Amino acid sequence: MLWTDKFNIFIALVVPPLVIALLGVMGTISSTAPVIPIDCVVVSYDSNTFINENNFTESKLDDYHGPYVDAVNKSELLNLVHFYNATTDIYGMESARELLTAKQIEIIIAIPVDFSELLTWDYPGLIDCIVDSSDPQKIQENINAVFDSIKIFVKDNNLTPQFDLRGFEEFSIPENYSSKFNTSIVMTLSFMVIGVGMVLTILVIVHEKPIARLLLTPIKRNEILLAKYITYTLVLIIQNISLIATALSFGLYIVGSVFDLFLALFVLGFAGLSLGIFISSSSKTKTEANQLFFAIFLVLVLLSGIFVPINAMPIYLQVIAYILPLSHGDPLINGIITKGKSIFGFDFYVLLIVSLILVVFSFILFKRRKYEV
Amino acid sequence: MISEDPIDIMVEVKDLNVQFDKKQIVRDVSFNVNKGEIIGMFGISGAGKTTIIRVLTCQIEQKHWTGKVIVTGLSPHKKRNHRVILSNIGYVPQLEQLNLYFELSPLANVDIFTSTYGIDKKKANEVAKNLFTILDIPKDTWNKRVKHMSGGEKKRLSMAIGLIHNPNVLFLDEPTTGVDASKRYEILSYLKKLNQKLQTTMFIITHDLEAALICDKAAILREGKMLSFESPKKLISSLPSNGMIARLTIENLNQQTINIIHQFSPIQEILRVGNEVIEVMMHDFEVNLPKLIQFLVNEGFNVTAMSRDVASFRRFFQIRIKEEEQKEKDQNSLIVENEEVHDE
Repeated sequence: MLWTDKFNIFIALVVPPLVIALLGVMGTISSTAPVIPIDCVVVSYDSNTFINENNFTESKLDDYHGPYVDAVNKSELLNLVHFYNATTDIYGMESARELLTAKQIEIIIAIPVDFSELLTWDYPGLIDCIVDSSDPQKIQENINAVFDSIKIFVKDNNLTPQFDLRGFEEFSIPENYSSKFNTSIVMTLSFMVIGVGMVLTILVIVHEKPIARLLLTPIKRNEILLAKYITYTLVLIIQNISLIATALSFGLYIVGSVFDLFLALFVLGFAGLSLGIFISSSSKTKTEANQLFFAIFLVLVLLSGIFVPINAMPIYLQVIAYILPLSHGDPLINGIITKGKSIFGFDFYVLLIVSLILVVFSFILFKRRKYEV
Repeated sequence: MISEDPIDIMVEVKDLNVQFDKKQIVRDVSFNVNKGEIIGMFGISGAGKTTIIRVLTCQIEQKHWTGKVIVTGLSPHKKRNHRVILSNIGYVPQLEQLNLYFELSPLANVDIFTSTYGIDKKKANEVAKNLFTILDIPKDTWNKRVKHMSGGEKKRLSMAIGLIHNPNVLFLDEPTTGVDASKRYEILSYLKKLNQKLQTTMFIITHDLEAALICDKAAILREGKMLSFESPKKLISSLPSNGMIARLTIENLNQQTINIIHQFSPIQEILRVGNEVIEVMMHDFEVNLPKLIQFLVNEGFNVTAMSRDVASFRRFFQIRIKEEEQKEKDQNSLIVENEEVHDE
């Protein structure tokens, strides 16, 4: 009896151990891998102003910025992505902010104008840092990493240990908004949209018995599937509008545009419903569709980069992660809500391409599906 | 009188053979269905009925079948004809859940199916209401969910959906299966009513032999072969003595009793139809019936009841299948004998 439904048995027996194995691989990575350094840039305003031979005022980098950059490089907690000399490059800080918005770095370390002078005159040193505060749990971690670089700098240069670190928060949530609510919404929105999209559609082909009878009318298979896509896309639009309206009414703080957020939710939801229809078209029974949904959703969540950063995964898992929609949907939504990023970027286009591929595959599978009345 | 004008031929099948993976499912089947006729195709499971209906409704790829098949003037052989054929025919599947969205109302179901034929919604509603009235589907259920309807109402709604686009031919797959005995006759009489009111040609496949009551012609299939195709009346009258039977109730009836009765030479066929009831067919029925009674009395059998009747289609079916089985047995034993001779 058991073997009448071999595929279900296969999924039931193989998927749970595979998920555990996947967690095992990911757990091993996070426990044995060295600490992942935090990406940062250093912007130095530390200058020595003087009058040159032509009677012009000139600035040049002062003595201590170099040793500090060395200390940043030495710190295991920081990874220096770029150094900007703001005494000559007036757009240095703007470039650094762009990197922060694009989530390519998490900290901007700014060396103030009189940095070297204060240290030379034995005054307490002063460093400014701007940290990405969109995730409140990471603020302290980021500041600690900067402290680590200061510690190395002080030790290497035999300086007095007094140092003042001034922290500035970027992308923090205003006081009249709930940071807890914002964080939890950002965390759950992407799961919810893709999950609901999948759940909505996993049974639309496999469980709809009159489809076989509809095929004995002049309607074409493509037309049936297209009608399903149109119907569920309309449901998705209504769902996204109600989601955003509810979130806003409960005090969601969006840095970016609400329309961008709507588009991001729509494209991620569409990827979810395409995946659902793909599962439904490829499953023979309702149970098989449910099992496949469970297996795929688990993999989507585990490899989304939310629990373990994608770049900390082995290369083969990274390849899989980067073709999964949630790995692009989460940063896309996160970027719009917390940093005001524009929707049109790499993640958006990847999501579109993945959705379109799934649409094409579901049409092929549905066309090949056997129906008998 | 049924016309044989080619324009009136709704379905034409000549030398149809269907094969899947070297297994022959249908063998040299030929028949015509004329406009306005009700055709019944009878046979036990595996006889090939469903396969034939699938060929006619464009469900089986041409690579699996050979022969000439024309449905409403077009051949399902060509894929480009499928859309037109499917517009011209209606289909009522065996199970209502294949034909109806249970979560929707009957009228919403009508909307879905008529939209596939491109019929105007208003016109479709009118047609639907007319069909619902003919089929006695209660008006208060028209806008309620199908799942709340009774089994018989669902069955009738399914028929209405099959007829919603006024097809030239309506194919019905086991229309009385899963329906209790009293409702079976009701379903059959509704089909006859629809046929008479709408002049729709109907093609029924079923193993319910009672359906022959409404058929203009009945086909009997066995293992993919068509054994007969004629009006049920003609088929029954082809039996000995024009299908006359004597129905006898004999006390303590057993196989030994039947063997003894077989010794009465004019007897051609004895069918046990109940615990103590047999139906007997014989040559020169009118002459030999009194002689049979005398024979039974002489043998000491206690005949508690006797009646004379015309055989039902069920009896014809049983006899025809039995004959075919006997023929096959004889052929097989002949083959075995020949092989043994050859070996020697």
